Amino acid sequence: MERTWPWISTAARLALAAVWLVAGALKVGDLGASARAVNAYQLMSYDTAKIIGSAQPFLEIALGLLLLIGLATRLTAGISAVLLVVFIAGIISAWARGLQIDCGCFSSGGELAAGKDTAYGLDILRDLAFLAFAGILLWKPRTRFSVDSVLMGER
Amino acid sequence: MSKGQRDRAGKAREIVAKQKAAERRRRVTLWTSVGVVLVLFLAGLVGYTVMSQQDDGKLVTPAAAVDDGTAFAIGTGPVVVDVYEDFMCPACASFEQASGATLQNLAEAGKITLRIHPVAILDRFSNGTEYSTRSAGAAAAAAEAGKFLEFHNVLYDNQPAENSDGLDDAKMIELAKSVGLTSETFGNAVNEGTYKAWATEVTEKFSARDLTGTPTIMVDGTKLTGPGDTVPTTELLTQTIEKAAG
Repeated sequence: MERTWPWISTAARLALAAVWLVAGALKVGDLGASARAVNAYQLMSYDTAKIIGSAQPFLEIALGLLLLIGLATRLTAGISAVLLVVFIAGIISAWARGLQIDCGCFSSGGELAAGKDTAYGLDILRDLAFLAFAGILLWKPRTRFSVDSVLMGER
Repeated sequence: MSKGQRDRAGKAREIVAKQKAAERRRRVTLWTSVGVVLVLFLAGLVGYTVMSQQDDGKLVTPAAAVDDGTAFAIGTGPVVVDVYEDFMCPACASFEQASGATLQNLAEAGKITLRIHPVAILDRFSNGTEYSTRSAGAAAAAAEAGKFLEFHNVLYDNQPAENSDGLDDAKMIELAKSVGLTSETFGNAVNEGTYKAWATEVTEKFSARDLTGTPTIMVDGTKLTGPGDTVPTTELLTQTIEKAAG
């Protein structure tokens, strides 16, 4: 197992990187829509939602790139885990309040069109899977093909 | 050197090497962590800066606009019905098809003041041509020419599919002509996007009012939805208006 862990962790690292890169790229083109997606959760004022909604896609892309190159893997995995927990909490709160919104996870989100069903359960399950990737990396942050391993002087 | 001494020297070197390696790991962890936090902070800052410096052009608010410059009013009746719509939104087109004529008749009969707010939240569904913003801006230009409702209706009758290019400016001008809106001022305003910044402003105010979806219908300031947060039916709408009229 000692020899396979770095490979499992490497797969988790690259998968998590892909998640953030895709999530960020889908939102970065329309920051106004991203802000409205955050606002749709009705958890904060629109002015605050604007700041979070505009910063978030760039943050996601940066996090994805850092995971892709494998720099400070344990820290980036930890930050990923915190973000995912926040997202899951947000979805649960929207669900509990009966809001009819798209989670805005992989799109610009916002309120659902009439007749479209929410998919909160699936959204949460998906985020939990991503959280598992982050968990693996927190536990075993040593991965192959990472900047970390080069800096640490490992082969 | 005896064998024992050699062993001890070897062990000492090993311990020193281990300490050095641990020291290196600590240093690497510290500095990469600092770097990561810095990179993430800067990325967030970039997003905020991009957003706050987005240049929407010069804001021209149409003189005909009411309600903090966000809507065009039809009729002057006692009950105020606010409708927030995006010209790209299919649910809005269904709502217009079902209840548009009823509302417009009530407005003409002096029962209600119908205030239509053209917002642009679906720009991402027109392949980058920003049909939502362009059409809302064009509607403002139509309002300035006194033909808002006619233009509004013809746009919904010819609603483009989501994820198409939307109607281009020439097509919107052509549709305007078909409802008797032929002024050159209108055509220029559409081609130059005179009211696009206004459309963005209306959308901002819509969000600031904590409204999130289209169509949003309000009767005397109260949001009206059908069961299960659906778009209200014509029946529910007329009942609510009658009740509000007292």
